[in-house]
Amino acid sequence: MAASSKNGSNGKGDKTTRNLVVGMILLVVVAGAGAALASNHAVKSASKPSAVEATDGDGIGFNTSAPVKVDFYEDFQCPHCRDFEAVNNAYINKIITDGKIHAVFHPMSFIGNESVLTAAASACASDQGKFLQMHAALFANQAANENSGIWSNAKLIVLGHSLGIASTKYDECINNGQYLNWTKNVEDYAGKANINSTPTVLINGKPVPQNTYLNSAAFQAAFSSAGVK
Amino acid sequence: MKKVLNPTTQPWLTLLARLILAGVLLAAGWIKAMKPSEAAASVRVYEVLPVNIANTFGYILPWIEIGIALLLIVGIWTRWSSIAAGALMVLFVIAIAQAWARKLPINCGCFGNGGITADGKVHAWTYATEIIRDIGLILLSIFITYFPNGKFALDSGTKNSENGGER
Repeated sequence: MAASSKNGSNGKGDKTTRNLVVGMILLVVVAGAGAALASNHAVKSASKPSAVEATDGDGIGFNTSAPVKVDFYEDFQCPHCRDFEAVNNAYINKIITDGKIHAVFHPMSFIGNESVLTAAASACASDQGKFLQMHAALFANQAANENSGIWSNAKLIVLGHSLGIASTKYDECINNGQYLNWTKNVEDYAGKANINSTPTVLINGKPVPQNTYLNSAAFQAAFSSAGVK
Repeated sequence: MKKVLNPTTQPWLTLLARLILAGVLLAAGWIKAMKPSEAAASVRVYEVLPVNIANTFGYILPWIEIGIALLLIVGIWTRWSSIAAGALMVLFVIAIAQAWARKLPINCGCFGNGGITADGKVHAWTYATEIIRDIGLILLSIFITYFPNGKFALDSGTKNSENGGER
């Protein structure tokens, strides 16, 4: 190329530097895009909590034989989900414990590392029969800022114990990161199901209108018109 | 055009344009690269691509932005990277404009935080400012494409278009 001869002095050295820089940039792009593609897939071999329903995107299920199926897509770090739970948590837990709905929870993790940790911890709690309690507690204790460092394994263990979980299996589940890969399955399924905001609640596959989420009367009306009395 | 611009200041202007364009792309790319599944969701909500293609595009796009930004910063393949940056911006303008025209209540997601708007409403002014910003960036990329010869570029032999330079 004419360029290197024209810019004078050490054309060869410049060329080497340039090629090195080109190589590094290409490496960053290819490695980054490759890692993003490779790590955002369902993991077939992921170990799953016992309440998981494979047919429902590995969501955590309750009352599988109830006729009205309700899917909950939430991220434990999502502020709108916290507001939604503050309004509706008591109602939702009641219709689940009364066996009136087939609930499937999809704890998503798109907000980052602490979403992954909390989602995995909720699965560990699910194995101890404390999913609903853990789910409520994680929202009640949500930090003001995402990924701010409040959720570590140690703190998630303490939170679980405060809900009455006594088994060391829970501690091991969290410390071993037993369900970290499972969170990828949930996220992958939500992506394929075109879930684009949280919270998203589906009754029998149909989205409950977003503008009812902070209005408990309107939200409950959506359930009663689906036959949940 | 060459005569309009002072030959000593033009390379500095090109450098400035490179850095602004690169800075925006690098920030946008980096923020999204840290939250890949959110980036995928921000592409899905534009409702242009089928879901699985939108997801793939969402994972890759931030790294393309980062790559173009790095090339612009170091000044390698300056003309081509500015054309690529401009082409991306044209795509973004089209994507935002069609979302606005279809009244999709979505956030741009340009710098992360994509998806449905918090209040579920269409914010016309936000759409407008995003399009204006992207058009500004397109103008910068056009400037660089015409005057790729800038300061602190590793491809120091780059010539401006009037001289028939290749890069």
